[in-house]
Amino acid sequence: MTFDHAPFLFGPALLHWVLVFGCFAGIVFSVSVLIALGVYGASGPTAVMGRVWQGLHDFLGISPRRIWAISLLTIKEAVRRKALFVFVVFASLVMFAGWFLESDLRADLQVKNAVSFALTTISWLTLPVVLLLSCWGLPEDIRLRSIHTIVTKPVRRNEIVMGRILGFSIVASLIVSMMGVVGYVWIRRQVPNNAELICRVPVYGELSFLDREGNLTDKGVNTGDIWEFRSYVEGGTRSSAVYKFPMDKVTDNVRFESRFEAFRTHKGRIGQSLLVRYVLVNPTKGLRVPLGSFEVAEFGLNEKDVDRQISFFDEDKNDNRTVDLFDDVVDQNTLTVEVQCLDAGQYLGMARPDMFIRMPDRSFVVGYFKAVVGVLLLSIFLISIGVTSSTFVKGPVSILLTFTVLLVGQGFREFMLKLITGEQKGGGPIESWYRLITHMNDTLQLPDNFGVKLMQSIDNLFMGGLWLVQHLIPDLSYFVMSPYVANGFDVPWSTAMAKCIAMTVGYLVPCLLVGYYSLTLRELEAK
Amino acid sequence: MEKQPVIQIKNLTKIYRDFWGRKKVRALNSLSLEVKKGEVFGLLGPNGSGKTTTMKLLLGLLFPTEGEINVLGKPASDVSKNEWIGYLPEESYLYRFLNAEETLDFYGRLFDMSAQQRKERANQLIEKVGLQNARKRQLKEYSKGMTRRIGLAQALINDPDLVLLDEPTSGLDPLGSRDMKDLIVKLRDEGKSVVMCSHLLADVQDVCDRIAILYAGELKELGSVEDLLKEQHETELLTSKLSPEAVIDIEAVLAKHNAKLLRHGHPTNSLEDLFLKTVQKSQERPGQRYVPTGSEKT
Repeated sequence: MTFDHAPFLFGPALLHWVLVFGCFAGIVFSVSVLIALGVYGASGPTAVMGRVWQGLHDFLGISPRRIWAISLLTIKEAVRRKALFVFVVFASLVMFAGWFLESDLRADLQVKNAVSFALTTISWLTLPVVLLLSCWGLPEDIRLRSIHTIVTKPVRRNEIVMGRILGFSIVASLIVSMMGVVGYVWIRRQVPNNAELICRVPVYGELSFLDREGNLTDKGVNTGDIWEFRSYVEGGTRSSAVYKFPMDKVTDNVRFESRFEAFRTHKGRIGQSLLVRYVLVNPTKGLRVPLGSFEVAEFGLNEKDVDRQISFFDEDKNDNRTVDLFDDVVDQNTLTVEVQCLDAGQYLGMARPDMFIRMPDRSFVVGYFKAVVGVLLLSIFLISIGVTSSTFVKGPVSILLTFTVLLVGQGFREFMLKLITGEQKGGGPIESWYRLITHMNDTLQLPDNFGVKLMQSIDNLFMGGLWLVQHLIPDLSYFVMSPYVANGFDVPWSTAMAKCIAMTVGYLVPCLLVGYYSLTLRELEAK
Repeated sequence: MEKQPVIQIKNLTKIYRDFWGRKKVRALNSLSLEVKKGEVFGLLGPNGSGKTTTMKLLLGLLFPTEGEINVLGKPASDVSKNEWIGYLPEESYLYRFLNAEETLDFYGRLFDMSAQQRKERANQLIEKVGLQNARKRQLKEYSKGMTRRIGLAQALINDPDLVLLDEPTSGLDPLGSRDMKDLIVKLRDEGKSVVMCSHLLADVQDVCDRIAILYAGELKELGSVEDLLKEQHETELLTSKLSPEAVIDIEAVLAKHNAKLLRHGHPTNSLEDLFLKTVQKSQERPGQRYVPTGSEKT
């Protein structure tokens, strides 16, 4: 898990959403007009326009009271079908979980385990319940024909979809809140005496590198690791990592926290870690303020506090100087920090999230409940998909479909992308089968004949479908916020919460439309 | 003055198709009829004749293959017409986990009624259908008759102008059936229009002003009950008890007028009347029991 998510920019995101939504709506409308022309002749397009108009009319004429009535019905249905029983399962789990969580670990790791356990359990117990409830509600109504008693009242189809989604969301909120509170109390009791629950607020900067001659580059040295997450700076040279932190607020001191990785080309000084130095830089004034060097804690946390008034030895002027961090060093609301490795022949690896400025901590309860809200938002997302799919397929199929969205969204998007881009060798489904049957591994070239071309053309169609699915299903890993809290971080608004809220709302709107038209265009008879 | 039609059906055809769009059943074939304001209209026919299909087409639950349907001056697909319609489905499709009060409150909300209106209306209707003692029980604990009653109450929650009843007396005991028929007549007296479909011909005959008989999706008969049942070539007289001599004299008189006495005897009550009379007596004198006569004792 990296905490280095790109910040969420509402404006561009909205524009992108409008573009994608508009394109889809345009395609669906055009296809509908073409089909209507084929089926109904010249009156077809008018009928399609009529449906669009009716849809607009129905969305403008929704009644909150009717929606609330259906929501209340949904809540009562869920409660009387013992959906809240899942809370008892949760309570039983947390009652005995303490026995099985290791207590001889480091204190901060015990806290991490306890927080992860509580939040993961909430998520794993809530999601199946909302999945089953949301996918089963409408198909059951249609099968038992209870829906006949609703649609024969002045209820619009979109009100049914909205009511169902709202009702299930309230049920999910009830379940998640109860579990959240109990989970919090349990975590408090699990925390060892020598540990504390913290909620750090990091401010990350932009990272660039200077090579050994001091020229600016995007990346540092690659020490041969396939995983290129970290770049390395060479020790004892002018090579350094340059972090540029945004600094909007003036404070009495600044705390830097970092976790660097060392790569050694020789043993170095036995019993000592690599020496590292931070240099604060004001490029406009040409000011360089070196801070005292320190031994890097490999696989551990480095904390460095810098007071507002900094005294240092100015090598250029050969004199001791005192500068003000905010008046002299910070340049255009940006604090530039160079990180240097002082041991010649050794390398220090770092990535953007490896160093940050730690702002005043928030209360743990805030971060914890933000992560709980993350579970709730994912539940609402799944409810929207579940209710919508259940308007056009039966319960079991709807469950399968929604579960697939969850599975792909949480873990298979990267793999699908590799398949689509060809990074994953072996071709499409038909080529894969062909290679399996003919014992041709993925490094062997296929013969250049018509059959192979046909096979690859069909595979391309599959890949097109896969591309669409990969783009339609969002990255649901954003909703999993427990690693932030478990690692003692606050859940950031911009990079996590706002993104998840926007994603939930962004999918809710098309789901309402699809659900509405699906219920309007179908005969509500159990078949 | 000609009464205004509340339902107009013109050349209505409904074909059920399978998943691939192939024709499965022609449930209705060119059905045309009108239901006038303030009348009780019965849809009759054997199983599979298209009664329920017609009802569902009127409610917009099914879409017509061909033809036009207008209900209260609006197309059947227009949801707003439902403001003035009450529907009692054939079986209880209500939510079994709700109790009577919750059920009526829920359906009241669907009509955008205020809390006060819902409460008052629910109390009235629970009393009207005789479920005062079961208002807090979940519907899953109800008998079939009780479920029909609460079904009727939900159909009337909005004080509708047009009531559609699918097999309204099915599952009801004779008392409940009588109450239901009385209620239908009362609704007509209040100026409401009622469309009902039923297998129980006696019930239809009791309450309907006009009927349509469907067979295999086609309209076979349409008209007022009286006109359709009237035997134009026979005359019925009802007198006080006659002696055998008097019957002979009457036969002579009839012969003089070129007529013939076809049947004579004592008129019988319907079984329903006998049942209702017995129940009424039992309620008045709870201790009284049937004692077999000497001949029955063997």
